[in-house]
Amino acid sequence: MRWFRIDLHIHSVLSPCGSLAMSPRRIVEEVRKAGLDLIAVCDHNAGENGKYVRKIAKGSPVVLMGMEIQTAEEVEILALFAEEEPCLVLQEELYALLPPIRNDPELFGDQLVVDEEDEIVRSLEKLLLSPVPLSLEEVVERVKARGGLVIPAHVDRVPGGLLGVLGFFPPGEWPAVEISPWLSLKEAKERWPELEGRSIFRSSDAHYPEEIGRAWTEAYLREPSFSELSLAILGEGGRRVRPGPALKEG
Amino acid sequence: MKLKEVVKALGLEILVFPAPDLEVHDGYVSDLLSDVLAHAKPGELWLTHQRHLNVVAVAKLRELSGVIFVRGIRPGLDVLQKAREEGVNLFVSESDAFHTAGRLHRLLFP
Repeated sequence: MRWFRIDLHIHSVLSPCGSLAMSPRRIVEEVRKAGLDLIAVCDHNAGENGKYVRKIAKGSPVVLMGMEIQTAEEVEILALFAEEEPCLVLQEELYALLPPIRNDPELFGDQLVVDEEDEIVRSLEKLLLSPVPLSLEEVVERVKARGGLVIPAHVDRVPGGLLGVLGFFPPGEWPAVEISPWLSLKEAKERWPELEGRSIFRSSDAHYPEEIGRAWTEAYLREPSFSELSLAILGEGGRRVRPGPALKEG
Repeated sequence: MKLKEVVKALGLEILVFPAPDLEVHDGYVSDLLSDVLAHAKPGELWLTHQRHLNVVAVAKLRELSGVIFVRGIRPGLDVLQKAREEGVNLFVSESDAFHTAGRLHRLLFP
């Protein structure tokens, strides 16, 4: 076993707030430069570009499928999957439930599915920057029913973070959480002692190419894979995760 | 002012009302529970769009006089059940946060 460097929260051009430069190709390029072993591309309520990132990466780095889902409470969680199908099926389900608000690319940015050749496959019409009308509990249930992993995103953030919005962990299992790129682990635990004993991730939450590699998580694993990561979250067999250093403000 | 008088004056729908004689002297409007935990003061009547179960615990912890879900928002049965167990007052206002808060403010600070 050894330490691997991972970043489970990277946006692409499918997120309206993600830079147009964040095509699957460019993401793989930057991730390789940054020396990351395992990544996930989690767009707002969508995960389709992960498919193309995988095609390009060909296992180097390993790419998990994922989404950053915004629940009815306006809590954001990362939903991660080993396989494409459950992620894409859940994306379709969530898309159908999203309110009928059309994205205005001039105001919010484009929401593009882009393939391995940098060609536009399609553009999603509904604004992805809306909460889905499902409670946190319901979203967690749907992700887990499909074999996915749940990691509440930037839990400290207001708005959007589980602890920021809900004040403390609601009933249920929360073995893994992500903290913001800028928050030190020490500061996080001082503010929320209940973080102790959980697997704490840090991610880049990159929306621009140059943000990839700015923050990461280290995981002690046999190999960079979904199943190894799942075991590491539970601290099985010496596997574990630890957040990389906090990003300096500004 | 007694909470039951406020409820009557604002025409609130009662969901759970175990403590009608609590005194209300002020209000607080927020959808962020971390913000309410940090800044709301005991006795305040809390207006929110947030209907997560944690609302009950936050209201109890901060010793708020009650929670008004604005714009006709109704929480789930789990929230009502928890509020009954914890003795937390819950109401619904059909009008939105701005108008509910405005009327409450006029009532408390005429």
